[in-house]
This record gives sequence, C-alpha cells and structure tokens, in this order.
Amino acid sequence: MRGLVRWSSKWWPGTIPLAVLWALAVWNSTSPLETELAGRSTAALKDILLDKSRITVSGRDVTLAADAFSEEGRRSAVAAIEAVPGVRLVNDETRLIPEAMPFVWSAERDVVRVTLTGSSPLPASKGKLLEAARADLGGVEVVDQTSLSRGAPSRFDEVALLLLDQVAKLKDGKVTISDTKVSLSGMARELGGREAIAAALKNLPAGFSVASNEIKAPPYIFQANKDPVALTLTLTGNVPDNNVHAAIVAAASRKFFSEKVVDNLKPSLGAPSGFANAAVPALGALSRLSTGTLVVSDREVKLSGDALYDAVPGQLRANLIKDLPQGWQLKADISVKPAAAPVDATVCQQLFSEVLAKGTIRFESARSSLDPDSAGLLDHLVEIALRCPTTNIEVAGHTDTDGDNAANQTLSEKRAQAVVDYLVKAGLPAARFTAIGYGSTQPAAANDTDDGKARNRRIEFLVKEQP
Amino acid sequence: MTFLATFHWGWLLATLLLGFAMGWIAVVHRGHGVSKHLARWLAALVAALLAAALARLVPGRPGYWLDLGLLMFALYLIGCGIGSWLRDRVLPGPASAG
Repeated sequence: MRGLVRWSSKWWPGTIPLAVLWALAVWNSTSPLETELAGRSTAALKDILLDKSRITVSGRDVTLAADAFSEEGRRSAVAAIEAVPGVRLVNDETRLIPEAMPFVWSAERDVVRVTLTGSSPLPASKGKLLEAARADLGGVEVVDQTSLSRGAPSRFDEVALLLLDQVAKLKDGKVTISDTKVSLSGMARELGGREAIAAALKNLPAGFSVASNEIKAPPYIFQANKDPVALTLTLTGNVPDNNVHAAIVAAASRKFFSEKVVDNLKPSLGAPSGFANAAVPALGALSRLSTGTLVVSDREVKLSGDALYDAVPGQLRANLIKDLPQGWQLKADISVKPAAAPVDATVCQQLFSEVLAKGTIRFESARSSLDPDSAGLLDHLVEIALRCPTTNIEVAGHTDTDGDNAANQTLSEKRAQAVVDYLVKAGLPAARFTAIGYGSTQPAAANDTDDGKARNRRIEFLVKEQP
Repeated sequence: MTFLATFHWGWLLATLLLGFAMGWIAVVHRGHGVSKHLARWLAALVAALLAAALARLVPGRPGYWLDLGLLMFALYLIGCGIGSWLRDRVLPGPASAG
C-alpha cells in the first residue's frame, strides 16, 4: 500500500494524454448522446397525453415544454423522463392548458363552410369532431378554430357529434354547447328538417338540456294552377301525409268539373296546423275562377286570377276568410274576365248542354241545398246565361225513382229553385228563369242500376227566345 | 452511470489502458513525483469537482463534460493502480525498492 502511494506521485504525466482523450470524447460524443437521450425521452412520453410537447436536450439535461390536460398528467410526464437512463435533470416547463368557464363549443354553418369554434377537451376529440364534420357534411369546407381547454362536461364528444349531425340538416345556422346547455339556431335545409332536428335532440345524453332551439324551416308551399286552355289543374308542392294528399286530390276532382288534375304533390313534414282545412276551401275558390293560381305558403293563402262575372271576387273573399282556420291570412288579387260576345238562343242552349254533359250540379244527399263543390260549374252556367240576355231559361229538376213520388216531385222543384236562386244571386234577372220539378217522371236512363239512377238525378237548362 | 459506461465504453476502455500503461511505467520511472503539498491541493480540487458533479451544480453541456471527465479520471486512476501493482509483482524482489 505504501508502494501505491509512492508510485501514484509519478502517475501525473499520463494526465496529459488523458486530457486529450477527454477532449476528443467530449468533441465526439456530445451530439450523439443528446440525440440518443432525446429519442428515449420522446419514446417515454408516448402514452402520456400532452399537447405541443417539445423536448430539448443539453448534455444530459432534458427540457420538457408541453401543455398538459391535468396536474397528474403533467407530473407523470416529468417522472417518465426522469426515469430515462442517462438523463441527469429534467427542466419542467410544462403548463396546464387553461380551464374554460363556461366550456363553450360551437359549429357555425354559412353558405360555403362550417366553422368550429370555442373549446375542445382533448386533441383526440378535436380530431374526431373535425373528422366527423367532414364526413357528415360531405364536400363542405370545415374550418377548425377550436382551442384545447379543460373543463368539458362529461360525454361532451357524444353531444358534439350529435349536434354535428344536425348541422348537416341546416342550410345555415349555429349550434352551441355551453357546459350542459345546447342551443341551436338557423334555417333547416329541407321541409321537415326542423322536426327531424327536434326529434334528434331527444337523444341528448342525460344531464344535457336544450336551452333554445330556434331552427326555422323553409316556407311550406302548396300550389295549384288552373289552366283553362290546356284544361288542367296542376297541383305542386307539399302535403303533410298520404291521407291529406288523397283528400286534396279527391276534392280537386269534385270541384273542377272539366279540368284534368295533374298531381305533382309530395308528402313532407312541417305543414302548418289546419293545412287541409285551408287548402280544400282555397281550391274551391280557385275552381270559381276562369284562370288562376293558388299559393299556400305557410299560413298565407294567395289567390289570384280572373273571375267569370262581377259578383265573384266579393263572394270569394267573404267565403274564404270565413272558411280559413284561425291564424291564417288571405291575399286575394282577383279581377273579372271581360264579358264574352253575346250569342243567340241556339248557341246558348248548346253551351249549357256541353257544360252539363261534363259536370253534374250536386246537392246534399236527399236535400235541396247546393253542394259547395258545384260552385265552379254553376259559375260557368252563370257566365253562359249572361251571354244570351234576350232569352228565358227553364231550369228543370229531375230525380230517380227511389222514395215516393210526391217527395221526389217536391225535391226536384226545390232543387231547381235552388239553382235559380244561385243564378239570381249572381246578378241575373229573376224574370228570365222558371224553376220546374219533374220528379222521376222523365228518366234519362233506366232506374235499375246505381249508374242509371245517378244519371237521372239531374238539372237541365232549356233556353227559349223571349217572346 | 451504467448508461454512460455503456454509451462511452470505447473511450473508457482507452482511458483504462492509458492508466494501466502509465501505472506500469511509474514503478520504474526515475523522474520527479508530485510533492505532497501539491498532491493535497490536487486532491482537494478533484473532491470539489466531484462534489459539484454529484450536486449537479453545473448545468447543461458543461455538466455532462464534467461527469465524463471525472469518470475518465477515476478509470485512469484505477488503470494506474492496476498497472503499478502488476509491475511491482512481476519485477524481481529488491529492484522494486527503486
């Protein structure tokens, strides 16, 4: 041992090459060592949730800068790097991401793009929502301006995904989650969109509630156009369901005696309440016009066109306002068609026969009140009567053989009189008309079939020159 | 330490060999040794550097260089010790007295 102390005093010359060796080692190994440690530190952070993590190594000291989502995540990140072999010190420059109070996330859709703003809880949900938005809104540009924040309500992702589905149903608008409150505004893309969105919102997870839902739907439009040249009634637009559809088409065929009904209606959700009760009387009003258009838009009925004679516009307005359900509005823009050229008795008779061959004047069953569905037909008869002012007209009522003869006789007289009353109310002089009832005495067809009976129940017009 | 040893094994081995050679020569070397006074100062300096390294006082790259230097110096001393001891065993008896 004493030898060792003695020899050691002579070991100093070797320190010179040792210093050289040290300098070479420093020169060669510093940079590879730093690279190696950086790689190992990055690998150690692989399973720890951090945002914007940046690792810098100087010698054996690692500086970790990152945004952490919880205090625990922050501590475990530092611990993971401290555990990397070879790391001497960890400079902790991590910080917690800010907490959002309240936690607000929203998606706004305008004409060209969807913008996501507010806070996202984690990079994973941020990515997932962006992905979902792109998938739901195929083709629309999606801009993600959300920043990461703490404080999201639980099941946030689920709610945000549900709302993104609703954004796809909007033309424009905004959906917002503020803590556990959801609000929506904007315009639905299609009719029924508003209802579909309201239904989807029932699936919100427990704890979430709808603070406001101000989604509007595009106007609910139903249109009917009467074209006297093509002899068509074209129905377009929306009807609430198949039952109302069938009812409207049936009403149209009853009211329009000579026009063919072209049915282009399609069933859609979102009809205003009382739609059928408004559309049917409005069609009745249109049937009394020579040419015209009916537009039902939400709760507004717009009727425009030409009436057959002077009394019609006033009657239409008064009746329709009475028939429309409460809360509905009427805009009528009706002019009167110029009077047609006068004709003589023969032509007049021919015109009456033609019109009555196409349509039958209807009455309520076993009674003498005119069925409102026949108003269009009666107006045409009025128009013809106006064209031959120098004639007298016999209005003859006929019945089938059902029931006793006396009753049939009375009924036929009353029905003929009801028709005359209608003509007089339209402004024709009462002196020109005679109402006569024939009961079942002059059948036009055999009374042994329903069809034959129906043909026997009729009103005939007989034109005579005034003496 | 294990990491440094595995990462720098080449340099450390070279240091050990250098120490071994120096130790081997030192036994028969006739030149002047380091005086006791200077040796004490040097020991104090090494102790101070060691303390600085263990306390991790020196930051970043210089800190790493210090660690590496001290490790190499320790291995050099071990090499010297082994070299001198072996040479002493190999040399015939009294010659070792120098």
